[in-house]
Amino acid sequence: MCVTRAGRVVSVSDGRARVEFFDGRALDEVDVSLVKSKKGEFVEVFGNMALSTLTPSEARAKKKAWAAVVRASTQIAAEARAR
Amino acid sequence: MKKDGILFHAKHAYRPNILGYCGPDGRGSIQQGLEEGKVGEELVATLKEFEAAYPFLKLIARTTGRDVFDYSVPEAYWIGNPLLDKVPVSEFYGFSHHELQGKDEESVRAVFRKLNGSAVPHHSFYVMSTFAASGETDGPNLENENAKKIAALIDNCRISWGKVKSVGGRELKVEFRPVVIEGGRLGLAKPSLKRVQYNPAVRPFDSVKAGDVVSLHWNYACDVLTPRQSRNLSKYTDADLAMVNRFLGSRAGRSRR
Repeated sequence: MCVTRAGRVVSVSDGRARVEFFDGRALDEVDVSLVKSKKGEFVEVFGNMALSTLTPSEARAKKKAWAAVVRASTQIAAEARAR
Repeated sequence: MKKDGILFHAKHAYRPNILGYCGPDGRGSIQQGLEEGKVGEELVATLKEFEAAYPFLKLIARTTGRDVFDYSVPEAYWIGNPLLDKVPVSEFYGFSHHELQGKDEESVRAVFRKLNGSAVPHHSFYVMSTFAASGETDGPNLENENAKKIAALIDNCRISWGKVKSVGGRELKVEFRPVVIEGGRLGLAKPSLKRVQYNPAVRPFDSVKAGDVVSLHWNYACDVLTPRQSRNLSKYTDADLAMVNRFLGSRAGRSRR
């Protein structure tokens, strides 16, 4: 399933962007035509489409939250592999 | 281990993972498990790394007294079955705030408030309500070309279904009802044909035939549905659409005031 992920736009071309997410991953070909994002802005992406823009303070909060998600999911998976 | 439940869950989680939209990166364990029909530790560990799908399964399992990979649990989440109606809305609300990261707290509150206790942890509801609660897609955006883009996004993200009309080597032609957005409301259009991919090495797709009904995720056929599952997916999707339309209607009323 898709999750809403937050990240930073690192390049834009013809309504498509490369977004680097706070969980450490990146995605090319994100459709940013709905929010008309520019390089350097923060967005929330669902599937392959940016649905909203974030202020820098909102982005900081999301970044912190995603760090917790990554820690938790990594821990759960490590425990499953160790069993 | 609950092999059937794990494989059913993996079939539906596979496609968005391969596309990079959720779950852990770069491992072939899901595809390998599906093609071999085997459940190993690596497959289970990978499925537990999904940031949203696995917490949803835990919520349904915890509140209905089932094992997280009991077949009925992922079936409830992806397709829909009566387990959904047993999940207390208060638990779902708490889960959406505290366990489901990435969701905006105010959006969660707004959705639950407007739906007055009828929200269920069904995957399609999550997809549609995420779209509906997004401020950028509110109001006038639905009246322009964005409506088609958003409808296509919802169609890809939700679990939809299609009746197989013809079978190719790696492709099925299916009859399917796409989401449409008209007048700021979501609905299902009349059936149309589309092509979707499938993997003939994954059972039961080695024997898929015209007339079968398959579940779809990101233009990929996940599984062949039983008549009961097919009815449930239609029923719970209709309920999701009704709930989301109620929410969208409340927003439209608010914006007119």
